[in-house]
Amino acid sequence: MNLPSLRIEKRLSSPRWLPAASLTVGLLLALVTVAVIFATLGVDPLTAFQRIFRGGFGSFYGLQETVTKSIPLMLAGVGLTLAFRGRMYNIGAEGQFMIGAIFATGIVRLFPTWPGFLLLPAMFVGGFLGGALWASIPALLKTRFRVDETLTSLMLVYVAYEAVKFLVYGPWRGSDTRGFPITDEFPAAAHIPILPGTRVHYVTLLLAIAAAILVYLLLTRTKLGYEIRVTGENPEAARYAGMDYRKVALLVMLISGGLAGLAGMGEVAGIHFRLRPPEALSPGYGFTAIIVAWLARLNPLAAMLTAFLLGGLLVGGDAIQIALNLPAATVQIFNGVILLFVIASELFNQYRLRLER
Amino acid sequence: MQKNLFRLTLLMAVFALILTACGQAPAAQTGGESAQAEKLKACFIYVGPIGDIGWTNAHDVGRRYVDEKYDWLETAYAESVPESDSERFIDRFVVEEKCKVVFTTSFGFMDATLAAAQKYPDNFFFHVSGYKRAPNMGTLMADFYQLYYLNGLMAGALTKSGKVGYVAAHPIPELIRHINAFTRGVREVNPNATVEVNWIFAWYDPAKAREAAEALIAKGVDVLAFTEDTATVVQVAEEYTAKGQPVYSFGHYSPMAQFGPKSLVSGQLVDWGVLYEDILTKIHLGIYTTKNLENVDYWGLLSGYPNLGGRAAVELGGKFGEPINPVFEADLKARKVNDPVLGEISVYDLVFKRIEQMKDPAVLFDPFTGPINDQDGNLKVKAGQRLSYFEVTTINWFVEGVIGKANP
Repeated sequence: MNLPSLRIEKRLSSPRWLPAASLTVGLLLALVTVAVIFATLGVDPLTAFQRIFRGGFGSFYGLQETVTKSIPLMLAGVGLTLAFRGRMYNIGAEGQFMIGAIFATGIVRLFPTWPGFLLLPAMFVGGFLGGALWASIPALLKTRFRVDETLTSLMLVYVAYEAVKFLVYGPWRGSDTRGFPITDEFPAAAHIPILPGTRVHYVTLLLAIAAAILVYLLLTRTKLGYEIRVTGENPEAARYAGMDYRKVALLVMLISGGLAGLAGMGEVAGIHFRLRPPEALSPGYGFTAIIVAWLARLNPLAAMLTAFLLGGLLVGGDAIQIALNLPAATVQIFNGVILLFVIASELFNQYRLRLER
Repeated sequence: MQKNLFRLTLLMAVFALILTACGQAPAAQTGGESAQAEKLKACFIYVGPIGDIGWTNAHDVGRRYVDEKYDWLETAYAESVPESDSERFIDRFVVEEKCKVVFTTSFGFMDATLAAAQKYPDNFFFHVSGYKRAPNMGTLMADFYQLYYLNGLMAGALTKSGKVGYVAAHPIPELIRHINAFTRGVREVNPNATVEVNWIFAWYDPAKAREAAEALIAKGVDVLAFTEDTATVVQVAEEYTAKGQPVYSFGHYSPMAQFGPKSLVSGQLVDWGVLYEDILTKIHLGIYTTKNLENVDYWGLLSGYPNLGGRAAVELGGKFGEPINPVFEADLKARKVNDPVLGEISVYDLVFKRIEQMKDPAVLFDPFTGPINDQDGNLKVKAGQRLSYFEVTTINWFVEGVIGKANP
């Protein structure tokens, strides 16, 4: 007896409506799965969904929190769309974020008396340079010695964590923090201005939007962008066409690292106003940014939206923990399931399943 | 391609809107609930999962205790809250969940708690383990330094090699204070013994804790104390003891006696419920207001709280109600020391004598009474003087007898 078997085969062409359809189905399946999980926990799934979306998007308070949370995701995520387009798998945005935060803090320590209009730009430049510097290590290892950048960029995250720890437990530990591992609070000139009544440090937000537009223009309107895209889609063809693979690889890594570094600067100067141990600085923004970039299908403009949606999902997830007293793990499961399904649905854009007898 | 992406993002936006809208509808129907009798609502923000065996679990035990005991009280909590998000959690608790009192239970929440206290002047805030206060924000702590000292007395009596080990999470004043108090106890009984510190730079990392404990044992250590949030050190000691190489340990934070029936001597236990009860009843009775918390700072030592029948938030032992594991009673009774005031006394009796002295509201004994030398032999506290509260809470140097760096 022959049982029917499932085969996965590549699509020769894909209809235009397909990405939208697969995303919709993916989201629906994810919601159904999560609903089952909520139901087994004794929580009405509809109430839970309502609280999540109300928590993230349904009130002024939730919205401004979502925007605040989306700033670092947007900066790092936009950078990653560029890196991934150029086929540089930079998994280490989290580390570049940390080094950006360190550089920004270093500038405050070097020039504590500068007025804000000098100090803040210097910190932004410092944050960008810090992140770019950190990303240049895997980039150079890749272009000079063909070391896989996925691994090196990831491993450097942990080195960056240790660097932050070293500084806050060691030479940068504050003088008025009673021995606790944080730096002293930044002077007021080093605080990024905040929209009144919110926690939105809007200068960083504007920078993030500008970065998204610039990266988009770079990719679509310039010769360099063309080279990046060709290199990403077919490195052999790019080389054959005389494009400088090393230049492209280094450049996309520097920009993506720099943007992650800016995100780190934004957090220390817009949220914390001091350097703290790494786990307190970022709940994994650099890693979430990878998802932001993929969900945006590597389009920097779309990354603004996916950063906002993901930020809302995280903020809303926190809200159900509070409102329904669910364990924190439920929130992580919720976010994890949604992302898993959405990313898995990508498969059907290029492949299809076929039943064979 | 670009068009598709645009449609895709548009679709996602529509999705979010629809879901939000779906969410809004039932919300209107639940509005009537809040008309019930006015209860005091206290909300707790935890840094870890309530299922850990240390810090956060202990706070949640305290929360459940007060929640069950008083009808006029209701509580809620959020666990595993990252320090970077604490401000948002506090806001939500105050604005959306209408929490009158918010407890934040990690040092890292200090700035966010103070900011919230200023933003919501009619709410009560209590921050655990910090030092910033406001008219509507008090601080509390259940400090173990007296218990560590008592554990040190026993460790000094039980070590045969004269080498005691200490597995320590992070080099912050709290740990330096505890290591110092422990070492003062060890050296009171055994003046030549040393306490070697091994920092693991983690609150929760069983693998590192095991590595650190085994490294100390390899150096000849036969008694271990620790400050981190796992029972690993107790388990390691029990394994070595079972193998025929006795290594003794002291539990930390939660009852850990079951992990070391043959090797756990004593330990430090906490009962946050005592402090939460004191604070919440005082708010309920109107003794605490949003104007008079500026100097409300619970230090949670053995001397306890008179209005709660002298109950203290800290207790000596590897489990509640058993200060010393009976397995070690004979050894500790056999070991005599000569105290200048108390004369010849067994270590067992000395422990209980010291508890009695420290329980006295006048605190008749303190381990940080001079003369105290630092690690390099310099006199830091003159004979007869005591370290002040501020000095104890900000201490950044090790006393004589500690091996290791206070600022690694």
